[in-house]
Amino acid sequence: MKIVKKAQAGTMQSSDLMVFLEPADTLKVTIESTVLKQFGELIRAKVDEVLQKHGVEAAEVRITDRGALDYAIEARLETAIMRATEG
Amino acid sequence: MVTSLLSTDDLRQARVLLEASGLQFETPYDDLVGIFEAGRMVAVGARQGRILKMLAVATSHQGGTLLDEVVTELVGRGYQEGVDSFFVFTSPALAPNFEALNFNLLAASGKTALLEYGDGLKRYLARYTRQIHPGNNGAIVANCNPFTLGHRYLVEQAAAAVDQLFLFVVREERSLFPFGARMRMVQDGTADLANVTVVDTSWYAVSSITFPTYFLKDGDPGGAIQMELDLLLFAQRIAPHFQVRTRFVGNEPLCGTTAAYNEAMHRILPPLGVEVREIERKNADQQPISASRVRDMLLRGELEGIAELVPLSTLDFLLSSEGIKIWVKGETK
Repeated sequence: MKIVKKAQAGTMQSSDLMVFLEPADTLKVTIESTVLKQFGELIRAKVDEVLQKHGVEAAEVRITDRGALDYAIEARLETAIMRATEG
Repeated sequence: MVTSLLSTDDLRQARVLLEASGLQFETPYDDLVGIFEAGRMVAVGARQGRILKMLAVATSHQGGTLLDEVVTELVGRGYQEGVDSFFVFTSPALAPNFEALNFNLLAASGKTALLEYGDGLKRYLARYTRQIHPGNNGAIVANCNPFTLGHRYLVEQAAAAVDQLFLFVVREERSLFPFGARMRMVQDGTADLANVTVVDTSWYAVSSITFPTYFLKDGDPGGAIQMELDLLLFAQRIAPHFQVRTRFVGNEPLCGTTAAYNEAMHRILPPLGVEVREIERKNADQQPISASRVRDMLLRGELEGIAELVPLSTLDFLLSSEGIKIWVKGETK
């Protein structure tokens, strides 16, 4: 899927995350998290998996996480992708 | 639920809640939101451009998630409006509350802390990493509105004293000449100096965030604190990244705000490892060359004298159709 516009999903609450998506020429992912040291790689793996599942090959993805679980990451990122692609 | 505050009663309640928290109701703002419980306002927050302000939670409701909800709403709405970087000023004691929300502390003085949501500063610094070489490097921060022979002289003196000189051009769009035009005048006017690298200050030096009063005609009391944050941010975050050891500045006989800024520089930067070197201004007709003098002459239509105050590259720009459009428009303001 092609990212055609800016979109955001999620909240700043504990156990949640904010996802910011915008169009770009390449895929750039930055992750900030209160648990980056412990779980940074797992978050990144989950994000890559969701992006791949939806065929997102080019976008700027910014994530600020407050200890969200896997399925929350997936749900928020998918919502942002829907919002960034729908006409 | 977070809602927009629009009615007179909403605004009255917001004012009461803010004053009870030791804050003031400060107009203008682009967005003002709050949370009610049984008809009573328990949390409030506002956004003005990139700045989040008037954030308060009723004492009876602190420790919960109300601040998170208000900030989430303001950031989400701001992002929809095209703002992608957010700042908050708060007391240093409250800074950890914002750090828990993934805000990053940029600088803290005795009374105020400046935090940023997201890693904008890191991304800004990373953009220039490849152009930085270890050595005895210097920096100048200038608006260049427009680029004059005075700037050129300061740049030459500074560049001769260091291995590499970073010339930071103020990004903020509060000047007669837009950033793009100022950047081009600076690049053209310094192209022959091999060890000068022109960079953009983004929001992190002399901007409406770090130093809003710079852009007002007369300084106000809040200006002193913000000046301090601007310089702390420079000394602690920007200078170390660019490996800058010396900041050069022209002495300021004319403008009160800039003179006070120079004075603050001497006080704040050296203890943090950045030497400050003030260079005597270059004169023309026994008067210091300044950008404001050039602007005055442009606006009065005294074009003949300007050639003595600016480099040829700037003169070419000022007399180009693009340049003329800018200052003729300024004249009618």
